[in-house]
Amino acid sequence: MVKLYTDTDKFESHEGPVVVEAFHSALKDLVRSSLDKAGVSWKEFVFSKEYEFITPEAIAAIEQSVVESGYRYQTSAVISFIERPEAYSPIAGADATSDTFSFEHADAVTSELEDGRAQVGQGDNVATYAKNVIGTARYYRSIDDVMTGLREGVPANTVAIIDDSGGTLTAPIIEQFTGIVCAGGTVRSHLGILTREYGIPCVMNSKISGVVNGDTVEVGVSGAAKTTEAYQQGREMSVPVWKHASAS
Amino acid sequence: MAATKLSYADLLQTNNIMRCQGEETLFLGITRTVQESKFFPVSAYVMLGYLNAFYRYPALLRKVEAAMPPEEIADRIRNTNSKLKSMGTNWCMPNFYLLGREMLINMGVIRPQDAAEDVAYVLDFWRRYQLAWRRDDGHLTNLEGGHRSQVLPERQVQVMHADMFDCAEGDELHEAAINFTAAISQYAVLIACESRVCMTNHGPYNLGEDRELLVREFFDLGQGDLPWLDDIADELPFSRLTLATGVKDTHFYIVDDWGSYEAKPEYKAENLVTVGLYTSDDLSETHIPVGMGSREELTQTLNDYAQKLKDVTTKLWERLAGYQREQLMDAGAFTYFAIIRDFAHVAGVYDQEDWFTIDERADRFRVLLNDEYGNEILGALFVPLSLNSHQQNEYQMMRHSGMPKRTYSPIPYTVLQAEDDDYVASVGPDLSPGVTYLPEKVDRYWTTRGTMTADELNQATRDFTPRLAGEDLRYLDDAWVKYNFDTPLAASLYEIDQEQSRVLAGKGAGLRRDDVERLRSE
Repeated sequence: MVKLYTDTDKFESHEGPVVVEAFHSALKDLVRSSLDKAGVSWKEFVFSKEYEFITPEAIAAIEQSVVESGYRYQTSAVISFIERPEAYSPIAGADATSDTFSFEHADAVTSELEDGRAQVGQGDNVATYAKNVIGTARYYRSIDDVMTGLREGVPANTVAIIDDSGGTLTAPIIEQFTGIVCAGGTVRSHLGILTREYGIPCVMNSKISGVVNGDTVEVGVSGAAKTTEAYQQGREMSVPVWKHASAS
Repeated sequence: MAATKLSYADLLQTNNIMRCQGEETLFLGITRTVQESKFFPVSAYVMLGYLNAFYRYPALLRKVEAAMPPEEIADRIRNTNSKLKSMGTNWCMPNFYLLGREMLINMGVIRPQDAAEDVAYVLDFWRRYQLAWRRDDGHLTNLEGGHRSQVLPERQVQVMHADMFDCAEGDELHEAAINFTAAISQYAVLIACESRVCMTNHGPYNLGEDRELLVREFFDLGQGDLPWLDDIADELPFSRLTLATGVKDTHFYIVDDWGSYEAKPEYKAENLVTVGLYTSDDLSETHIPVGMGSREELTQTLNDYAQKLKDVTTKLWERLAGYQREQLMDAGAFTYFAIIRDFAHVAGVYDQEDWFTIDERADRFRVLLNDEYGNEILGALFVPLSLNSHQQNEYQMMRHSGMPKRTYSPIPYTVLQAEDDDYVASVGPDLSPGVTYLPEKVDRYWTTRGTMTADELNQATRDFTPRLAGEDLRYLDDAWVKYNFDTPLAASLYEIDQEQSRVLAGKGAGLRRDDVERLRSE
């Protein structure tokens, strides 16, 4: 089989992510075999003859072989799993109706009950407020969750527990949140930026454990906001999240 | 005879731009978080947009330049709010194209020397345009300017300085401004499918007395090119808005090429002390005040507009929540790829098919763009630089990371040699047929001159030459004003921006900053 120009590479590493390596390796095989079949020079092949061989169908066959091998893609957008459940891994606890689901982060800092509250984790504070925020924890992790909030209203005094650091999922109901604990992103994620504009207390990159729907939580937003320098230096600079005993 | 029309100088410039842009891409990737979303397949659509850019930008930019060179486009929009004066050109245009190219190199579909003339052309078009629109600033990018974006001429800063209304924490205007900023930022992120390409920041400008001006601009708000806004955004009267904000005791020490800022001490809403609102577009001479007749009018305008933005946000969210994945992919990919479509609008050659379909040469890879591959390839291209093409010899220490890596593959200089004719200079002069899963666009565009069809808009832009772009004023910049401020010609130049100013109308070109401060206080 012919060799591609990039097959000779002094510093080739193959250190790329698994699925990237798998797709790219198969694509290169397709290009090599196509060039062979075409029987023309590279100059006659690229941007011309290649379109007869490197077709949507040929590329789809590569993707299909990965799925048929049993591999399941990690899901980011909820719609991806909904439309292709055979190709994606489900998002655990993606409906807010469960009263037992909780984020369980291995690095969550926890403590014993003291003065009526126990630490259940920590997060990066977006902005400093005069007082900590206290409210009822409710998970919002899918379009259905938000649609329910839009249709029925968000219950008063809700501290939203979410893992989407974007600014679109919760767009129509964000103003109704008393506070937000987000398990992803940084204070510069869209959600962090927007909560700062709205004046909604929020911690990002949160690592929490044992918080379920209905718990009373306290978020330490009276603490320092995480700085750019702290991110650039990889320095821990978080505020606590507590659960109040009365709601357990 | 060399097999290429490219010169050695062309290639040296091209490779230099690639190197500099690659380093800044790494910096932005490190300091700005990668966005994630449960709503949109963000990384996947981003990659589709990059691939479309690789196959379509060369032909589309040549079509634009045949109608109007990039320097003239810059001169025509110098005075107005434009997406062409944002991250769309500061970073996105060259890097979307180059990231698509790098992806294809790592797939084995192209080699670094393939499409060499396209690469050189796209980057040269970009460079010419950047130098022209930023000529008062004198830097190619915010990066080159030390992460500052001081792109406005004195006459425009003076009008904003003069006409902004004072506000203070707890008063109605302050509250309205904060509410409006939150609502429009939220809406801008939603219409841009979880990206920040529909807003930017310029500045800072020193207003004196420990105050800095940060100019916040928002694009594509009303019904225009974006098919997902059809009908929904009709109630928003302006497609582009400029919010001038004066902030005390805060130094914006970074305004980067993504339009993001960093401040010391940290920006706090309570430090907002002045605010003004404007609209403009490719058919207006300059910024047009919105609700700036009085403090009360501005307060009411900001509150009314914030409520409209919130209503439209909910309607748009509900529409997008009903989209299929491929529709969300298209919307996001177009948001990225078509970020420079205003080149075609200003040149009067806009065609929705050009900018809002995915070229079938790019679309063939769509099936690979699942969430995981999208996240992994996007990440690999930005920061860890873990793909084969990124690896360099072990002695190398890349800027910002110290790693032996390089973001973009340079074009080998051997293409200049007569014996190396084994490459193709371009992806081709024509677009291939395009694909879209979105509903057909409603042919209705909001402008400062009312609603138009696409054809009417093209005709209107072709017929319109802003006074600033006329032969008498076109080459007058702040350096010329310095030595000629007392001439009738300078007064004519300043008159364009002062004409609708509440405070500076007819005041001419001779005012200094303290004069403006005194006038606004009277």
